Amino acid sequence: MAGPLLEVQDLRTVFRTKHGDVKAVDGVSFEISPGETLGIVGESGSGKSVTALSVMRLQRPGKILSGKVLFQGRDLTKVSEGEMREIRGQDIAMIFQDPMTSMNPVFRTGWQVAEPVRLHKGLDRTSAMAVAVSMLGKVGIPGPATRARDYPHQFSGGMRQRAMIAMGLTTTPKVLIADEPTTALDVTIQAQILELLRQVNRDFGTATILITHNLGVVAGMCERVMVMYAGRVVESGPTVDVFAHPKHPYTWSLLRSIPRLDAERHEPLKPIDGLPPDLIDLPSGCAFHPRCQFKVERCSRDTPLLNRVGETQLAACWVTQSGVELKGA
Amino acid sequence: MLAKYLARRLFASVIVVLGVTLITLVLMDRTRGTYVPGIDLNPALRPEDIARLRANLGLDRPFYLWYLTWLWNVLHGDFGRSMIDGSPVMSHILDRLPNTLELTGTAIVIGVLISIPLGVIGALRRGSKTDHTLTVVSVAGFAVPQFWLGLLLILVFSVTFEKLGWPWLPSSGAFASFGGGDILDRIAHLVMPATVLSFFYLSLWSRFTRSSMLEVLSQDYIRTARAKGMAERRVVYLHGLRNALIPLITLVGLELPGLVSGGLVVEVVFGWPGIGRLAFERALQYDYSTVMGVTFFATLLVVAGNLLADVLYAILDPRIRYA
Amino acid sequence: MLGQTPAGEIDLPRSAFEGEASRPAQSYWNESWERLRANRIGMAAGVLLLILAAISLAAPLFTLFLTHYEPARLDLLTTFQPPGHPHLLGTDELGRDTLTRLIYGGRVTLGVAFLTVAISLTLGSSVGLVAGFYGGWIDDILMRFVDMVLAIPAIFLFILMSILFRPTPVTLAAIIASVGWGGVARLVRGEVLSVKQRDFIMATRSIGARDLRLITRHLLPNVLPVLIVAASLGVGQIILIEAALDFLGLGIQPPTASWGNMLTNSESYFFHSVWLVIFPGVTIFVTVLASNIFGNAIRDAFDPRLKTTH
Repeated sequence: MAGPLLEVQDLRTVFRTKHGDVKAVDGVSFEISPGETLGIVGESGSGKSVTALSVMRLQRPGKILSGKVLFQGRDLTKVSEGEMREIRGQDIAMIFQDPMTSMNPVFRTGWQVAEPVRLHKGLDRTSAMAVAVSMLGKVGIPGPATRARDYPHQFSGGMRQRAMIAMGLTTTPKVLIADEPTTALDVTIQAQILELLRQVNRDFGTATILITHNLGVVAGMCERVMVMYAGRVVESGPTVDVFAHPKHPYTWSLLRSIPRLDAERHEPLKPIDGLPPDLIDLPSGCAFHPRCQFKVERCSRDTPLLNRVGETQLAACWVTQSGVELKGA
Repeated sequence: MLAKYLARRLFASVIVVLGVTLITLVLMDRTRGTYVPGIDLNPALRPEDIARLRANLGLDRPFYLWYLTWLWNVLHGDFGRSMIDGSPVMSHILDRLPNTLELTGTAIVIGVLISIPLGVIGALRRGSKTDHTLTVVSVAGFAVPQFWLGLLLILVFSVTFEKLGWPWLPSSGAFASFGGGDILDRIAHLVMPATVLSFFYLSLWSRFTRSSMLEVLSQDYIRTARAKGMAERRVVYLHGLRNALIPLITLVGLELPGLVSGGLVVEVVFGWPGIGRLAFERALQYDYSTVMGVTFFATLLVVAGNLLADVLYAILDPRIRYA
Repeated sequence: MLGQTPAGEIDLPRSAFEGEASRPAQSYWNESWERLRANRIGMAAGVLLLILAAISLAAPLFTLFLTHYEPARLDLLTTFQPPGHPHLLGTDELGRDTLTRLIYGGRVTLGVAFLTVAISLTLGSSVGLVAGFYGGWIDDILMRFVDMVLAIPAIFLFILMSILFRPTPVTLAAIIASVGWGGVARLVRGEVLSVKQRDFIMATRSIGARDLRLITRHLLPNVLPVLIVAASLGVGQIILIEAALDFLGLGIQPPTASWGNMLTNSESYFFHSVWLVIFPGVTIFVTVLASNIFGNAIRDAFDPRLKTTH
């Protein structure tokens, strides 16, 4: 089996503001292999989007302080802008949350979908458009040749997102990063888009990183999942395992706060106490400890490292790393 | 739907025009009974002669008759006759109209052509010294009195240059009276007044372009464009500017109805033979009917211009038709 | 979940209310004033305007103690004096002291501007309030009338009215205001329409408040911010218009000094007495600049929504 396709090592990205430095990404490491699906889960402000943007080097006005992003033998944090531009849209593609605002309103959809392949592969207008139309068809847009001449506002929400996905795939990239692709859509359309992403992953073998705050989306789509909190990775592992027996109190609390079909009757939902931390002024030690019901004295002193807990999972928690099982009210 | 909307707008415009005629004629009514300009100076005239003269000029009929006659004439293209020499106002207007359009048209073109690059530079180099300088200049540009700027330019580029023996710019007229009229001559005459006139537009539009550009560049689709791996120049000028120009065009369009009247002060300062200067000259001689005719003509153009703009918008944006 | 938590004993997490205390709420006026104060350049411009106005108001005092010249005092022996002693800014073609004329001219210009704003705002907001409040055919007629007034190009209307009515400072203010009020009326009407939607209007009506009371006690205060912003942004333009009319000879007539008419014939004196062209123009420029900057500061302070991207 080949080594990882994309490997992020101890990435740190910061936003300098007049109130202080916002440590949006605070030592994040992960990897993804060819054809894999990885979900990155976290609340708003957990740093998941900034992580993805940092991989693409689109994090401005943020600044990548340190860390490595290894892709095909190169460290993307160190390559020139010109080389990075070659990779963007061609080897690593990214699609965004709201297709209405993410597509340019004054250009026809087909033209925008064809743009990456025209720029990167040097195709002429007709051939590029042919590729675009074909891809629009593959993502499930009926009558793609005519619809390619429509403007983004003439599409429905779900169709627009399909068009965005098509836009990311025309150059057959090795990695597709989808930042909250379903958040702006109706629930029924969400399921269709997820199915499309699954199909794309199967048919094209594109490694897919799915960023979301919705655990249900991850469960339906990703082989592996990575949970982020306050700019750090707190847990990662195969989705099935992480959901069945979470090894970090944050993940554990998250899972208890959403409605589940297999819950006991009369079991109340338990929201997580407290508020997300201020990224300028993080708590000492473990960022989650102020809200954690399992904490011990060490948690407020030392920052836990991501280590193996259980057979397949990694978790950054002193408590679980010392063997304690997460249980309770 | 479109036809209904247009009909409504046309009707409203007609009402406005009629109302304007009423307003102007009510104002002008004051002048009818007072005196006959240019003739009072002759003490030999007897009151009967004065009365007869006034009757000939139609100055003693009841208001409504006067109003209706005036309206009737206007519909036939007769905008009145000068109180000084009896010449038809319309012919003066038609004589001078092309000059005014030449001046204000050039000013608007200059304004647009310079505002766009200035605005883009300001946006791209936001917060830099260049940006601050440009902002300061445009804020200052708003505060400069047009006539003063014109005076200063004349005094520098015409009077001083001539005294210093340097090639100097002409300070009045649209072209030289003798042996002139070629394109170079016309441009030489056009330079200063058009610059002064465009100054105001420049200040306004360059700031506007800048903020429009900044707003566009913060949009999601710009981030998408960058994610597709295209050169920054393409992102800014193709994806960005295209969107940023749309509101600017709207703004420029708003200026068009005022095309005829905006240049009056500049026309006077530079002796430019346009409609504005016509009104001014005649006003100094108390030639009420000419001034009124010109005013009404300019108003017609404003109303027509607004109507045209509304029509265009209704065509371009279907949502407006139902407003 | 029925039967779980008895009513009245909702178990809210304590920490939901902990954390930084928010700033105490302030009234809209206090907040706006604070924002204005924070804008240092704007405040500086405002102070400058205040100084200019004070100097103009105290004009007679100035001539008494400082310059010792009246604005109309001729002295054909000291024409075209360059700036120096005793005429700090020189003299004009009739030997009149420029500095004194500038100070007195300020009275005229600023006075006309202030009066124009007052008339515009009063007339415009009355019409706007009535039109917006009553709606229906009253609104139609009033706004149609506003359309008519606004359709006539301002400068032509000014010229027309200047030859019809003798231009004293008061009539000049009325003339300039005759165009300005239309814009104010539209603005106020728009604000009234949006305020009218809010519930407290209906609530006040339901307790039997009369129309006039509603308009003055409830609508007007809400419309005030828009008026303030419009007024402060418009003052600069009004000064420029007034100066232009004076310059053209259609406004304040000599020998009364105004910044505009001090420039009327200055073209012919340029080469030997350049200060006659420079000083009045610079004065206009600085005053308008200060009022524009201050006006922007007021707008940013009172209606931050309008603030353009910086």
